[in-house]
Amino acid sequence: MNAAKPGSSIRASILIAVLAVASAMVVVSSLVYLAVSAGTLGSFAEAQSAEINKQIVMNYEGYVTSVIETANYIQFASIGLDVRRDQGSLAALYQANADIKTDVLSVFLFDENGTKLVGPPMDVAAPLDVPARPWFGDALELPEIFHFSIEGRESMAETRDEEALCVSKAVEYLDGGRAARGVLLIELGQGALDKLARRSNLGPGGHLLILDEDGRLLYTSAPAGRLAAQSAALAAAMHLGSVRASPGGMDAVINVNTLAHTRWRIATVSNVGEIRAATSRLLLITLVILVGSTALSATAASMVSRRISKPIGELKEAMLRIEGGDLDAPVPVSGQREMALLSHALASMVARIRELMQSLVAEQKEKRKTELKALQNQINPHFLYNTLDSIVWLAERGRSKDVITCVVALARFFRISISRGELFIPIEDEIAHVENYLTIQGIRYVERFGHSVSLQPGMHGMKVMKLILQPIIENAIYHGVGDEAGHIAIRGRVEGGRIVFSVTNTGYGISEEKITEMYAIMKGEGERSGVGIRNVYQRLKLYYGDGADLRISSVPDESTTVALYIPASPPEARP
Amino acid sequence: MIRPSARRRAGRPSGRGAALAVALSALAAGAAVTCAPAPPLVGLFLYERADPYIDEFARQIEEEARGGLSVVAFDAGNSQLIQNEQLLSFLSKKPAAVMLNPVDRLASYALARRLKEAGVPVVFFNREPLARDLEIWERSYYVGARAEQSGQMQAELAMALFGGDPAGLNRRDLNGDGAIQLLILKGEQGHQDAELRTKALLESFDAAGYEVEVLAIEVANWKFDEGYEKIGPLARTHGGRVELVASNNDAMALGAIARLRQLGYFKDDNRDGSMDGRDESWLPVLGIDGLKEAQDSIREGYLYGTVENDSLSMARAMVRLAVSLVAPEPPPNRPLAERYIWIDYQPFKAAD
Repeated sequence: MNAAKPGSSIRASILIAVLAVASAMVVVSSLVYLAVSAGTLGSFAEAQSAEINKQIVMNYEGYVTSVIETANYIQFASIGLDVRRDQGSLAALYQANADIKTDVLSVFLFDENGTKLVGPPMDVAAPLDVPARPWFGDALELPEIFHFSIEGRESMAETRDEEALCVSKAVEYLDGGRAARGVLLIELGQGALDKLARRSNLGPGGHLLILDEDGRLLYTSAPAGRLAAQSAALAAAMHLGSVRASPGGMDAVINVNTLAHTRWRIATVSNVGEIRAATSRLLLITLVILVGSTALSATAASMVSRRISKPIGELKEAMLRIEGGDLDAPVPVSGQREMALLSHALASMVARIRELMQSLVAEQKEKRKTELKALQNQINPHFLYNTLDSIVWLAERGRSKDVITCVVALARFFRISISRGELFIPIEDEIAHVENYLTIQGIRYVERFGHSVSLQPGMHGMKVMKLILQPIIENAIYHGVGDEAGHIAIRGRVEGGRIVFSVTNTGYGISEEKITEMYAIMKGEGERSGVGIRNVYQRLKLYYGDGADLRISSVPDESTTVALYIPASPPEARP
Repeated sequence: MIRPSARRRAGRPSGRGAALAVALSALAAGAAVTCAPAPPLVGLFLYERADPYIDEFARQIEEEARGGLSVVAFDAGNSQLIQNEQLLSFLSKKPAAVMLNPVDRLASYALARRLKEAGVPVVFFNREPLARDLEIWERSYYVGARAEQSGQMQAELAMALFGGDPAGLNRRDLNGDGAIQLLILKGEQGHQDAELRTKALLESFDAAGYEVEVLAIEVANWKFDEGYEKIGPLARTHGGRVELVASNNDAMALGAIARLRQLGYFKDDNRDGSMDGRDESWLPVLGIDGLKEAQDSIREGYLYGTVENDSLSMARAMVRLAVSLVAPEPPPNRPLAERYIWIDYQPFKAAD
């Protein structure tokens, strides 16, 4: 458990995955949409301007056709009419056709020399001009077609002063019963062109141009100026079709088409700037949608992942507390069904562990108590036997004073041993216990050894496990006190949070092997039991754990020291 | 329903045509060998496919081109605007050549300039561009017939019917006045073909010394329906005086026959079980075009004759020309006069 890899959280994983998929989809679809619609809009602009061009050309075509029909009708109605014999009928026919259409200014018939045969009265100078006029020569030169020309001149009719568009065609007529060739001329007011141009929707600044077959500008709906000149030049360079250009700085599509029945081409210049603006607007809207939907999916993903990960997170917190030893930590039971089941299972598991641990602890407590008692109880019978033996020995020699001392010491010794059942006693009591023991042993061994006790000030009141010094001293007496007078020094100090007692006895000292052997006995590896040191060591370990220790050291031919290390403050919770 | 078709001229001695055909087929053979894997792309632009003549013509062209050219056909639906659009978009496919039947022949100059710019050779057909328009692009050709030839042939058919001798007309001169009383059904007023056919018809009579009295010229706009509608009043007005009806095309002629039958003409008077000139109520009607319906009517004995616009020969000439133009080594540019290929009309009457 303590080696668990950190990794990323479930919530982050879900969030990242959902967000990545959602935003990738949104971004891709937005881009595709944008690319497609921008392209569509671009081609839409071109298609639309082409359509508008066609519409305009069709309007003009309709107009041209109606003029041609008028001319054809006049021709057809004139069949059999003679310019000499039927002058009156012909004049009426021509006049009627000029009057019936508002934009027809006049209708004339000229002979091959340009002399007027039929038509309204003419301006004074006009008749002389006729043979030199382009419409006249063209009609005779190419008789099978109608000729449309804009020459920028006023109508030849005396009563009309408008600028005229001339439609001419070579025709046959009867002159005194003989067929002759002449030229039919229909003059139209230019207003008709303007009227048709105005009916078009070419956008702000859009306009149309009429070019002749050589690319000369015949008419434009744009006001004269730079724009008109530039678009005329652009249109003239094209034979047919459409091109994207910017005449006069306008974002435009120029379409050029032929005008049926004429040698003219109509160029339309559509302003597509608005469509470009629409494209940028579309871009903006798409971006807003993109950002919005990404945010929306992020929110949704975050909510979903939180709903999934929150119970897991809570469960994880609970497990961490449990891992830290807090078996009473509450296990949350919430979230989705699976999570609730999992939490519930964990809760029961923890409860079971808690029960097991509690019973285990109780068992251990009981066991340790029993062991401690057993160990403490090992001391007494042996010592009591020896002491009583000594008292008997003193009594036999009549040393009643010593008997009293000895019995008093023995009584105090046992009082402290029992200590009203307490396991821990103040150090001063433990020292007093040792003094009583030394008193008894001193009597027994007739003062063959001296002893000294030195304690660091202030440690008298500290509590230690009882009866831990006496076995060490007993050991020192048996093994250290020889024929010569010896000395046992008992020192106590507090060092690094531990109480340290050292018991040093003079003597031959002991070998390293002996020390090793003693450690082994202490740790219960040997079979020999009942040794005091082992008893003390086992009790220290049993109660204080790793914080306690017992160390043996020796200076050969001089002294042996046994040191006890005891934690200064034993955990009260542990008996 | 039969729609009007607009033809171009006919005529010209055909010896030259044969020489050209030989030269073209040699070129075509060479081209066919080298271009086997992917036939060159050629656009076929039709003024209006709803015109039965054009539809059949287009099928003949496609048939002739099979294997040698990859032909893509476009129907402009009688709109030059649509044709402009179709041609411009087709040019982006980099065709090897185009065959172009302009809707408005006056627009040809703009198309020719555009084709010259693209370097695509063009074979105009059915509607003849102005000479100056054909001049624009050195690799533009015209394949067609001369309209006046159809008028001449129509007159010749009539002359044969009236005995072939202007001085002594046969029994077809019903009133015996030595002149032919004639009704003319004209195509569109002002339409070049209508004018040329009518003019050539009358001039041919004149030139051959026949006296002709034109009772009426009625414009019926090339249409069956208008031929049907307009012949009625004429027949009532001129009654038994009418000796011949000449129509600028078959459709109007057939329309007229349909109406005349309702008015009591074309009855099996001699009860020989068949309709022909021997029946008293039979009236000679002449058409031009050689439509299948017209040929059927001739076989049944109603329509006297027609002048066949030889579209099959035209289709062959066009395909050969196109094949030679798209060959790896195209023919040298020819002067304008040599870029016209004339196909003759063929007279067609009952005996045929």
